[in-house]
Amino acid sequence: MSNENPPTVAEHTRAALNEDWAATIVGLVLLALVLIGVIPTGLVP
Amino acid sequence: MSSEAAVPATARSTSWQWPALGVLAVLVLGAATRALDKNVPEWFSGSDLAKAIEFPIYAIALGLLGNVVLTVTGLRDRLAGGFRTEFFIKTGLVLLGASINLKVIVTAAGPAIVQGIVLISTVFLFTWWLGGRFGLDDRLRALLSAAVSICGVSAAIAAAGAVQAKREQLAYSASMVIVFALPSIFILPALASALGLSPEVAGAWIGGNIDTTAAVTAAGTIVGENALAVATIVKVTQNALIGIVVVALTAWFAFRIERRPGAERPGLGELWRRFPKFVLGFVASSVIATWYLTTVGADEGKAVIGVANDLRTWFLILAFVSIGLEFRVASLKEAGWRPIAVFATATVANVLLALGLATVLFSGFTVT
Repeated sequence: MSNENPPTVAEHTRAALNEDWAATIVGLVLLALVLIGVIPTGLVP
Repeated sequence: MSSEAAVPATARSTSWQWPALGVLAVLVLGAATRALDKNVPEWFSGSDLAKAIEFPIYAIALGLLGNVVLTVTGLRDRLAGGFRTEFFIKTGLVLLGASINLKVIVTAAGPAIVQGIVLISTVFLFTWWLGGRFGLDDRLRALLSAAVSICGVSAAIAAAGAVQAKREQLAYSASMVIVFALPSIFILPALASALGLSPEVAGAWIGGNIDTTAAVTAAGTIVGENALAVATIVKVTQNALIGIVVVALTAWFAFRIERRPGAERPGLGELWRRFPKFVLGFVASSVIATWYLTTVGADEGKAVIGVANDLRTWFLILAFVSIGLEFRVASLKEAGWRPIAVFATATVANVLLALGLATVLFSGFTVT
C-alpha cells in the first residue's frame, strides 16, 4: 500500500464489495466455459 | 495542454500500470508454484517429504521470497495494488463449489450455522471485553473483535465502515490478521494430525478459527480434499453472517456507544449490501455442477469437473502467492503491544472453542 496516498475506509469497503461481484462473475463464467467445452480437458496447465 | 492538466494525466496513465505489473509478478510466481508442485515429486521420486508438500506451501514460500526481493528493490509498495488476495481466493472458492455436491453443502449447513453463531458471538464478546480490560479505543476493539471472530480482513473492513474507524486502526487490524493467519496455515494441520482428528472435524476446526478465508483454504488443502470441503463450507457460512454482525454493530455504535444524534437505524438494504456475494457464486456453482453431473456419464463428468478443479487450483495458488507478498510485520510495531496481546489471547480462545464445537458438531459427518 502506498504511503503517499493511502486509501480511506470507504474506498476499502467499496473495493471489497466490487471484488465480491467480480470474483462471482469470473468464477461462474469460467465454470460455464468449462461445462460447454470452450475450455477443454488438457488446456489448463 | 497546461502542466497542471498533464500531471493528473500522467497519474492516470501510471495508476493501472503498477497494479498490472503486480498481477504479472503474482502470475509468474504462480506459474513457478505450479511447476514445482508438478515436478518436485518426480525430481525427488524416492522422497516421501517431496510427495507430502502441497502447493500452498510452495506458493506461500515463493510469495515470501518475492516479498523480500520486492522490498529490497523498493518495488513492493508500488506493485501491492496487484496482490489481489481477496479476488483470487473468492474466484477460487466459486470454482471450488463445482466440486462439492449440493447435498454436502445442505447437510453441512446446519452444524456450520450453529458453529458460526456460537463462535462469532462468544469470541466477539470475549475480544470486546478483553479489549476493554486492556484499555483499547472502542473502535479498535470493534475491529479486532470482528476480525478475530468472523473472517479476518473482510470483517475488519466491514466493521471499520460500521463503526467509522480510523484508517490506521483498520491497517493495524488487517496486519494482525495476516501475521497471525500465516503460521496457523501450517500449525493447525499439524495439530489436527497429532490430535488424530477426522478430516471433517479438522476442516470444521480450521474453517472455524483461522481468520482469513485464503488461509483457511490453504490449511484445508494441506489436510486434504474432504477437510477442504468442510473448512470452506464453515468459513463461507461465517462470511455470510458478516452482514448481520455489521448491521448490529452499526446500530450498537450509533445508539449505545456513541449516541450519535439523528442516526438512522440500518435496514434490510444494509444487510444485503454487506452480504458477501461470492457466497451466492459458491452455492450457484455447486447447484450447476450437481445438475450437470446428472446429465453426462460418470467419466465425462469427472474429466470436465477436473478442468474446473485445475482452474480452481490456479486461483488458489495466486491467492496464496499474494498472502506471501502481502505479509508485513512492520505495521504491527506501530500498533503497540496491547492490541497484539488482545488479538493473540482472543485467537487462542477461538482455537480452543472451535476445536470443542467442531468435535461436537462434525464428529459423525462425512463428505461423500
